[in-house]
Amino acid sequence: MNTGNKSIKLPSSSDRPHATTSTRDESGSTFVNHWQRGVPVYREPVVTPPLIFFAALAVVGLTLALVRFVSPLGPFVGMNDAYAWGIWKTFNVLTLTALGSGPLAVGLAAWVLNRQKLHLVMRTALVSGFLFYATGLVALGFDVGRAWNFWNILLPWRWNAHSAMLEISFCMPVYAGVFLAFENLPLVLERFYYTGSAATKELLRKWAPRLRRVYPAMITGAYLFPLMHQSSLGGLMLLAGDKIHPLWQTPFLPLLYLLTAVFCGLGFVTLLLLIGCLRHSRPLDVDVLGELGNLLSGGCFFFLAVRFGDIVWRGQLHTAFALDKWSLLFLLETALILVPAVALRSKVVRETPRSLLNMATLACLGGLLYRFIPTSIAFAPAHKAVYFPSLPELFMTIGYISLGIVAFVLAVKYFAVLPGDIEDWNHMFRVMRLRRAASTAKGETPWPASPSTR
Amino acid sequence: MSVGEGITRRQALLGILGFGGTVAGTLVAPAAAEEHPAHPEAPPDAVSMLYDNTICTGCKACMVACNEANGLPPDTTLSGGLWHMPTGLNSKTKNIIECYKEPDGGGFAYVKKQCMHCLDPACVTGCPFGALKKNEWGAVTWESSRCIGCRYCEVACPFDVPKFEWDHWNPKIVKCEFCFDQRLKENQQPACTGVCPTGAVIFGKRVDLLAKAKERIAASSDKYFEKRVYGEHEAGGTQVLYLSSVAFDKIGLPKLGSTSLGHYATKVTSVIYKWLSGPIVVAGILGAIIRRNWNRHEAERPEREKQTGLLEQL
Repeated sequence: MNTGNKSIKLPSSSDRPHATTSTRDESGSTFVNHWQRGVPVYREPVVTPPLIFFAALAVVGLTLALVRFVSPLGPFVGMNDAYAWGIWKTFNVLTLTALGSGPLAVGLAAWVLNRQKLHLVMRTALVSGFLFYATGLVALGFDVGRAWNFWNILLPWRWNAHSAMLEISFCMPVYAGVFLAFENLPLVLERFYYTGSAATKELLRKWAPRLRRVYPAMITGAYLFPLMHQSSLGGLMLLAGDKIHPLWQTPFLPLLYLLTAVFCGLGFVTLLLLIGCLRHSRPLDVDVLGELGNLLSGGCFFFLAVRFGDIVWRGQLHTAFALDKWSLLFLLETALILVPAVALRSKVVRETPRSLLNMATLACLGGLLYRFIPTSIAFAPAHKAVYFPSLPELFMTIGYISLGIVAFVLAVKYFAVLPGDIEDWNHMFRVMRLRRAASTAKGETPWPASPSTR
Repeated sequence: MSVGEGITRRQALLGILGFGGTVAGTLVAPAAAEEHPAHPEAPPDAVSMLYDNTICTGCKACMVACNEANGLPPDTTLSGGLWHMPTGLNSKTKNIIECYKEPDGGGFAYVKKQCMHCLDPACVTGCPFGALKKNEWGAVTWESSRCIGCRYCEVACPFDVPKFEWDHWNPKIVKCEFCFDQRLKENQQPACTGVCPTGAVIFGKRVDLLAKAKERIAASSDKYFEKRVYGEHEAGGTQVLYLSSVAFDKIGLPKLGSTSLGHYATKVTSVIYKWLSGPIVVAGILGAIIRRNWNRHEAERPEREKQTGLLEQL
């Protein structure tokens, strides 16, 4: 991914050229700490029992999805004409893509707000975000009844420019397929670079500067697009009008959906980093995590300020505190967001991994609840009807999520996604060289060949 | 990165403008006039139906005529395979007569349900590729080749009118289309109004029928609920008008505000997205900041790489 430098010497275990103790950044840009670069999880076997379990769920879900494609929707779903949208749309797309907004939230912080240390966790955000969008789009593809008519997207004169659904149909596939895919390219190419032949290396070396040249323009698009479609997801629910309870139906839905995307994105990346690093025995970096926690707290407060401002402006404060079913639901959702917002103001909470994990989880749950409620729970059609997802519906939803989990676990093992320290990176090459020495006898070619082949 | 930053910045800007221009071309034309006024006015040639449940005898001739005109199969689930007996509007029923009974067993009232043909229909506003369309004379029609089956129309419609063929592999959206293709185009009135023996539902221009409805209200003392026409203002106004002897919400006509849902849903976005100005401004600001930070990042990269001895990761 880069123009050449001098080759490096492999450090011995006693020789640590780059201390992993965190040092404060004086210049405002460069930062050295525990997490120094993405490192593949190379010490563990790729296939583990949990992976097989999730892969099995994914296979069940996708098999059902294929059957669904050649079958009418009716036998598969609990949806009906009053609740025409089931969990594939309301949960997998409208709700879960908030968690998949890490690339937007962390990216804005890193590249626009110039929080340099967050560059390290971008890859975790990018891979997870891409998978949330990809599985969400798969869910959409099997949800719509006449998917084959989607070619209309190629005929701009057929677009209904007033439709939030059109905005989403255009923006989400382009975002995932072009911008997120581009942002994920470096980590894939990097693997090719270290494992590939001399010709591959030569090619990548030639192309790296070209990728870097378009990079700023591409990440600008990568932030513009989700700003548009994450707000349009909230915009979708505007047309439902009075069907949605007044605590959730507001002209501010688009902005509030966007703000949930921001704090859920930050919260989920924090969660994923903590779980990933703890699961794979990686050291944590309280500076980076504390930064994320700090931004998460700010994001939650900003959301709550807009949420309450809107409720006061519409004169619904009495509804919010009526302590009936809806009010309690509202208070639960608010509490889930308010607790982390307040708690994470404390440096001690931010820098204690367990409490940070708990707070990030609460914030994510609160955001998910806020997004899910107006689409389903507080949604009352003109005619009495009941919707509860059918078993195939649930299995397909679980299948899509499992597919994302399987892909993420594989990505973490094959690509340099999770942050680690440089020593770990160098150690990986030593291990791989030993493995290669052992396996070339058997005629296999493991990767990577060497860290110094650049 | 030997290319001067001025050029790349210009390239980026041109790229954004080029993309913006392409999309703007399609977005701007319809956005020029206010497409979704809060209280839309009916065009003078808008057709209409007036249903008066003080006249309806509940004979259901309109239901049979509707199925015949639309080539719909009878819904025989309830009648044991014998006759058309739907429980509500569904994918085999575009028009239905329902009966409301007072809980105390006192009075009862009929109501005819079908698409309301709103002046600014929420389904049309939401439909991504314009499968649902406000056609000539204001009839809301559906075109199969543009429909992706997203069912946003069902979520959006305040009257729960559009129905989806859940048990078809190639599902259609089924709703009353004012007999647009079969009859309106042939200069005939819709099947239901044509067949109604008592004149409970009549066909005409909206402006005429609205006047007629108001005459009926004026002529009778207390016959009509709230002495008003349902559909004159509901959800911005509909082309199907109702007179009722009992409360509208009792016969399943929901209480709605007088603002069109299309106006409510697009009043902010239509400003932000006008000429794609919002996205272009945001892209410009983000792009400038990102470019500055990127250049700084790139300038420091060799130093960092020298320090660690490793290629920097993006």
